[in-house]
Parts: sequence; C-alpha cells; structure tokens
Amino acid sequence: MITKVVAWIARAVLVLLAVGLSIGCAVAAPKTLRITFQVAESGFDPVKVSDYYSGIVIEAIFDPLLTYDYLARPPKLVPNVTEALPTISSDGKTYTLKIRPGIYFADDPAFKGKQRELTAGDYAYSVRRFLDPKNRSPYAFLFEGKIVGLDELAARAKKTDRFDYDAQIPGLETPDRYTLRIRLNKTDFNFSHVLAFSLAGAVAREAVETYGEDTNSHPVGTGPYLLKNYTRSSKMILEANPTYRGKIWDFVPGDDASDRDIAARMQGKKLPQIQRVEISVMDETQSRWLAFQGGQTDMEYQLSEVAPIFLTSDGKLKPEFARRGIKLDRSVDPEITYTYFNMHEKLGDEPNPVAGFSKEKIALRRAIAMAYKVDDQIRIIRKGQAVRAQFPVPPGVAGHDPQYRSSIPYSPQLANALLDKFGYKKGPDGFRTLPDGKPLVIRYSSTPTERDRQFDELMKRSLDSIGIRLQVHKDRFPELIKLENQCRLMMRGAAWIADYPDGDNFMQLLYGPNSRQSNNACYQSPEFDRRYEKARLLPDGPERNKLYREMTRLMEVHTVWIMGDSRYRNVLLQPHVIGFKKHPVFHTEWLYMDLDAPAGK
Amino acid sequence: MVLPAAVRAESPGLWTLAWRRFRRDRVGMISLVVVLLFVALTLASAVGLIASDWAKEVGVSYAPPSFVGPANVSVPDERSPARDTSTGAALDDTDIVDPLREELIEIRKALAGGSSVESRAATLPFGGDKWGRDVLLKVVKGTETSLLVGLAAALLATVLGTVFGAQAGYFGGRIDDFFNWLYSVFTSIPYLLLILAIAAVLNQKGTSTVVLILGLTGWTGIFRLVRGEYLKHRVREYVQAADAIGATDTRRMFIHILPNVSHVVLVQLSLHVVLFIKSEVILSFLGFGVGVDTVSWGSMLNEAQNELLIGNWWQLAAATLAMAVLVTAFSLFTDALRDALDPRLK
Repeated sequence: MITKVVAWIARAVLVLLAVGLSIGCAVAAPKTLRITFQVAESGFDPVKVSDYYSGIVIEAIFDPLLTYDYLARPPKLVPNVTEALPTISSDGKTYTLKIRPGIYFADDPAFKGKQRELTAGDYAYSVRRFLDPKNRSPYAFLFEGKIVGLDELAARAKKTDRFDYDAQIPGLETPDRYTLRIRLNKTDFNFSHVLAFSLAGAVAREAVETYGEDTNSHPVGTGPYLLKNYTRSSKMILEANPTYRGKIWDFVPGDDASDRDIAARMQGKKLPQIQRVEISVMDETQSRWLAFQGGQTDMEYQLSEVAPIFLTSDGKLKPEFARRGIKLDRSVDPEITYTYFNMHEKLGDEPNPVAGFSKEKIALRRAIAMAYKVDDQIRIIRKGQAVRAQFPVPPGVAGHDPQYRSSIPYSPQLANALLDKFGYKKGPDGFRTLPDGKPLVIRYSSTPTERDRQFDELMKRSLDSIGIRLQVHKDRFPELIKLENQCRLMMRGAAWIADYPDGDNFMQLLYGPNSRQSNNACYQSPEFDRRYEKARLLPDGPERNKLYREMTRLMEVHTVWIMGDSRYRNVLLQPHVIGFKKHPVFHTEWLYMDLDAPAGK
Repeated sequence: MVLPAAVRAESPGLWTLAWRRFRRDRVGMISLVVVLLFVALTLASAVGLIASDWAKEVGVSYAPPSFVGPANVSVPDERSPARDTSTGAALDDTDIVDPLREELIEIRKALAGGSSVESRAATLPFGGDKWGRDVLLKVVKGTETSLLVGLAAALLATVLGTVFGAQAGYFGGRIDDFFNWLYSVFTSIPYLLLILAIAAVLNQKGTSTVVLILGLTGWTGIFRLVRGEYLKHRVREYVQAADAIGATDTRRMFIHILPNVSHVVLVQLSLHVVLFIKSEVILSFLGFGVGVDTVSWGSMLNEAQNELLIGNWWQLAAATLAMAVLVTAFSLFTDALRDALDPRLK
C-alpha cells in the first residue's frame, strides 16, 4: 500500500516537474516564425539582386529612409529613420531629409567592436552604389538619369574603371551629419516612393569594403532583423537585431472589422515581437502544402495549384479549415504577369522573327496574342486564383484604370485570317512560313519545372491553333535572366510586382532606355518614350492617367506584351499567428506581427 | 556403318533448343504475349492507327472517368466570373491608331457570323487531364514514347558495350587498360547523378536526347560482361583455328566469337530495356525528359503530383498501371529468356 502511494507521489512529482520544465522552456524559447520560399534567394546585397525572395530578407535587414503605414489603404508614406517626411521644394526637384540621431547598425566584425551610428552619408553612399558599373545593379533604373551629377560619375567610372565614392556631386549632399539633400534633374513628385523602397536601404561602407565580393551573404543593416545563419538556397535564419532602435505598434485601423481586431491585439506592443524567423526553400507546392498541414510552417501563400483543397469556389476558406482556427488573408497582389515579345532586331547573331514595326511583323505578334488563351491560364493553371490583367498598372497601385479593356480579343479565327492576309502561308506540314518563304519558329523560354511546363503546353496549344511552330527553350532561371538582360530571348512569361505603389513602377517596364534592365521586351518606341517622360513629371491624376491609357494602347497596337493576370494572394495562417494583414508594398510583415504562443512545439 | 534414322537427322541448333526450353516456361510465355501486345500498341500508335488525336481536347478540364460520374465542379468552369472576355473600346479616349485597323475591319467583315461553339464531354472513359485530353489516349502515346526510348537506348548501350567489351577482351593490354579506365570513370559517378549531369550539359529536350543520355551512360554493365566472355573465348581452340586459316582480328571478333556470346548480349539487351524505361520516367519526372509536344509516362506522373492532392487520381493511376504491367512483364520475360539461353544457370 505504502509503496503504491510512494509510486503515485513520485509519478505526480515527475509530471509536475515535466509540466514546469515545459513551461520554463516555453518562456525561454524565442517566438519563432517558420515560413518557406518557393524559389531560392540569390543574395542579400541590395544593389546586386532583383528577385522577390531576396527582397524579403533584405527588407527585414535594411532600413530605407521612409516606409509605409501598416494598415492604411491605399498605402501611405510615413517616416522610417527620418524625423518627418521629406521637405520637397515647390518645383519638385529638391528633397531634404533629416535623419534621427541615435540609430545604430547591427554589431558586426566590420565595425571592429565599435558602435556605428547611421548617418546621412550612409544613404548617399548606398545610392551611389547603384550606379557603380562594377555592381551591375539590375535596379539602377531607380536612380539612373535622375540625380544631378550621379550619371556623370558613373560615366567617368566606366572610363577609369574605378567609381569615385568620395567625389562631391550636387545631387547628393550632406550639409551635416544627419541631413541629406537630394537634387533631381527633373521634377518628380513621386520620388519619395523610391526612398521607401527596401532596396534603397542604407548599407555601411565599412561592411561593404570588408566583405568585398561576398556582400551577398553578409548583409549588415540597421533594420529589425539580422542574418544569423545562412545555407545558400536552402535555409535562412534571422534573429531580432539587439541594437534595433525599436518601434511601437501604433496604427489607426480602417472600417474593416479584421483591421480593428488586429489593432486591438497589437496596439502598443514593442516591435519586433517575433524574435526569430526560419526560412526554408521548398520548390514543390505539394511539399509546402504538406508542411503547412502538418503544422511545420506558420504561414503559407504559394499554394494556387492546390487551392481547391482549402478554398470554396467563391474564394472562402472551407469550413473544415476554419474550424481548426486556420485563418485566410486574401488579396490581389499588386502585380501583373505578361508574355513579352523581344523587340530587338537580333537575337545574338540570328535575326529575330518577332521584332519590328512593319505591318507584317505587328500582324504576327498580334495573331499570337489573339491565339493565347489567358482565360485558360487563369482557369486551369491558376485554378481560378487570379484576375485578368487588362492594364499594365494593377489594382491597388496609383494609376490603375479599372475601366480599361484590352483591344486584343481572344480569337484564333481572326488570328488565322490575319496571318493569311499578310502572307504567312501554311506549308504541307500544316505550319506557317514567313512571307518570304523562310521557316518560322517561335522560341519560347521557360524553366524546367512542372509549373512552367503548363505554360509551355498552353503556348503550344495556342500556337498550334494558328499553325505556328513552337520551340521551347529550357534553362535555369538565373541563366534566362542573364540572356534576357542581353535582349537574347525571343519570348518569355514574366511577372512584375510593385516595388512602390505608383504606376510609374510598371510603365517604366516599357521605357526604351530601360531595356537591358527592367524593360525585358527591349521595346524602344519614341512615341511611348515621349509620353512616359511627360508622365514622369506629373503627379497621379487624370492627366497622367490619360497618358497611361495612351501608352497602354500603344503597347497593344504594337503588341509588345500579351497581358496575363494578377494573382490572388491567399495567405493561410496557423491559429497562433496574429496581427497579419498583407500589405500591398511590403515584401514581409514580420515586424508588425506576433505569435500567440511560441511555435516549434 | 549405317546410323539409325533418328540420329542421322540434323541435331537441333542453339536457338531451336532455347525456344523449346522457353516454350515450356508458362510465365515466360504469358509475359512474352503481354510484351508483344505492348509492342503492337506502340507500332499502331507510331504509324497513327490509334491515339493520333491524343492532343485534342475532348472533355472538360479534369473530366472524371465515366465509371465515377461527372464532377461537382471544383475547378471554376467556363462560365465562372474569372472569365472576362470583354474587350474593345470602353473608355478609349486615346488617339492611338492601330496600324492594322483597315485590315482588321476587312477581315472582321469577311468572318462575320461564323463562330463555332465547341462542346466538351463531362466525363471520359478513364478521365481527362487539366486541358481535357483523354488520359487513355495519353497512356497509349506515353507507352509509345517510353517503349521506343527504352528499346532505342538499350540498343545503343548494347552496341557500345559489346564493341568496347570485344575490343578490350580480345586485344587486352593497352586497349584493355583504356576501356577499363573509361569504365571506371563512368561507374565512379552515381548513376542518377551522371544522367542528370549529362542532361544538364546537353540542355536540349526531346526524345532523341533522352535516348542519347541513357545510351551513353548505360553501356558499362554490358561492357564488363562482354569483356569477360571475350577473355574466355579468345584462347579457345576454334578461335586459334580461325587464326590458323588467316582470319583477321575483326573477323575473329565479330564473326567467330560474337555468335558464341550473343546469348549474354541478348539477355543484357532486354534487361536494359526495363532499366531505361524506368530511367526515362525518372528523367521526365524531374523535368529533364521529353519536350512539350511529347507525352511519356514520366511527364504524366510529373503532372499527376499536384492533381493527386486535389483528388484527381486517374492520370496517376493510368500511367502507373501501364508502367507496372509492362515493366513486370518485360522483367519476367527477360528471366525466362536467360533461363532458356543459358541452361547452365539452372
């Protein structure tokens, strides 16, 4: 009897101990957010990358001058490291910003044990880096041709092979330690958006010089997180930056009930609440879905291929998932997808059959555009989780025109008649030749993934319906981008998501001087460029919108792009994730979110 | 001396004896019939007798098999609100003129009235894929690709392995060292890694590429066996006799010795067909395989990954079933063949 009681007591003590221990651990364990990337990152040096996934990490590590209000829609600019929004001169050419003293970079061996304060000079240096020819920045267009004296500096660097970072230029001045004055060549009232873009965050010159070629894996910034552990293309672990200045969650909710709920749970919290972020790269949708289902990840959005499992046909979360407490945040991404035709006359040494502004070339591109069934792309490949893009500026971005309709219909019948008319005759094998009798083969480039094979098939079906031969060119994504930047791909499906919520960010994709950077169609039309340059000087409004409509029509009559869709972002959240609301510009919301209970159990 | 009639009759040759032994093997005979059926199917589809219109979209997207019945729509259908085909002049306040304006007006006038409405089946005999193509026809077409790739690649590998093996085993010395070195290089790399590496280097899609990849990497096993046989045979008396009457090296290698080792080669050939069918599936599954205008079991399985998650199992089932049946039948057939050709193994 006594032994029994002793055994019972011993067991009870053990259980109590175990519970106590687990509580102890729970308190000690940092709040960890676990997420996945669908595509591997390429690096974390803001001037060297252009992909979305690298941008997510960069945004968490570096601080741009300005940022956006978390809840306000449409997005509202607010100061980030500055005392206030920039003072803009009345001609829209001079921007003056006052940086708050007492902001420090994360500790790093590059600073040799000293605390390193953020100054105006860091921003002037970071902007200069974009134009350094050695960096070959894919985002140089953000500053190219805009800042007084900067382009001359870049031109000189091309000759002397050395970029002079210490040269004084009138466009980037620092009258004192904390004041930055930017002078622009032309009037631009939207330049603040560029200053709020995550890639325009401040880097420290010492860190860049210490790490030399390897800046891509040694990001050092002033932002809320730092890169703790990095296994290339596989795993990234971020931890809260202990020297971060801190921020208090203080945003005014809109009328939305879920907004108010978020505010009620987050108001007054010190940020960041999430202490650790673990990112795994997972290519396959199936794996990501199973990981989320099994509770191994806290949020997931790249699931359109399996969307019918958890979404009803009208876009609501199915009840069995809602019952488990899983939450859905659904919004249309501020992005467009499009298939471009390369407008450059030559592809390397070969002639490019789809380029040119003659009627017969336009007819060829138009016919292909009319044969491409965007509806099937949305219905079958996206499983209905996208809306059709009619206008190059997507919803939620200033300059979007919801009334605009594309002038190019889906009609293989019309396309065939058009090709017949311009002398693209069908040979005995059923495929058309060029009007001069030479063979016609359309080369379409994509990556060797199952996701892209569906697009290959759709393109194949489309071209089959008008008797044009298709050749699919396969390569890895970085290789395709390299060729694309040399204007050497004939056709590719591309996507662009807003860097900042202004139509300029989308219209610049077709601006002639941006070819070999963001203008992947290498489209050079004086009529378009003239309007673009005019629109750039205007603030958002009816006058600029009219120019945008004209530019879009021009793109259509020249048929440079086949407009695709804007995808829904269906973010699934585990029950313990709170405070999340997809922001249309931010790459990541980690800073403003919280976890109810520590994850990782 | 007069011999009894029965003995005087010609004694049966190697192949006749083998065929007699093979016919006694019931499992072998059944698998032979199955394999022949698959070959007949392949031939029929290759010349276009069947499944020539496999790419035609006859059903709705993911049409379920007829024995299951029409689906309650999980994928938005043609009438869903996502479908917005409205195009035209809404809010066209621009003065941009279409250079093709005149031509399009003319064509539109000529085409006026003639619009066709396609009708699609709600179910298909064994279901449809995402574009509404018949899975059954896809399997037939996939069988053609897979079997042709398997046979062609195995033939290539066997020819390479036999020629290399014959040289190495017959001549010995430096030539043998060279081929052994080549063999070691190829076998020191894990097989799948090797074919993926070659696929990445060739970087070209298509059936012939897959055949080349598999053929160029797969000859090593055959080489090893054939070399051993030649080492054994080159010192035999009949070869020495051939040498005595002045037969050249090539003649001795391929006219005298080869027929005596051909059973080994034949068994290896059929073993490799099975291996390469599987390898093709793996390659296509990983996205290195056949191009977009071809269908193979591997590409079907690749497509089926995400389909299975949303409950559309038929494409996976069809491709798996066809592959399982052929591979099993071919393997059993090969076993029986080996037993028949090499009775000492029994």
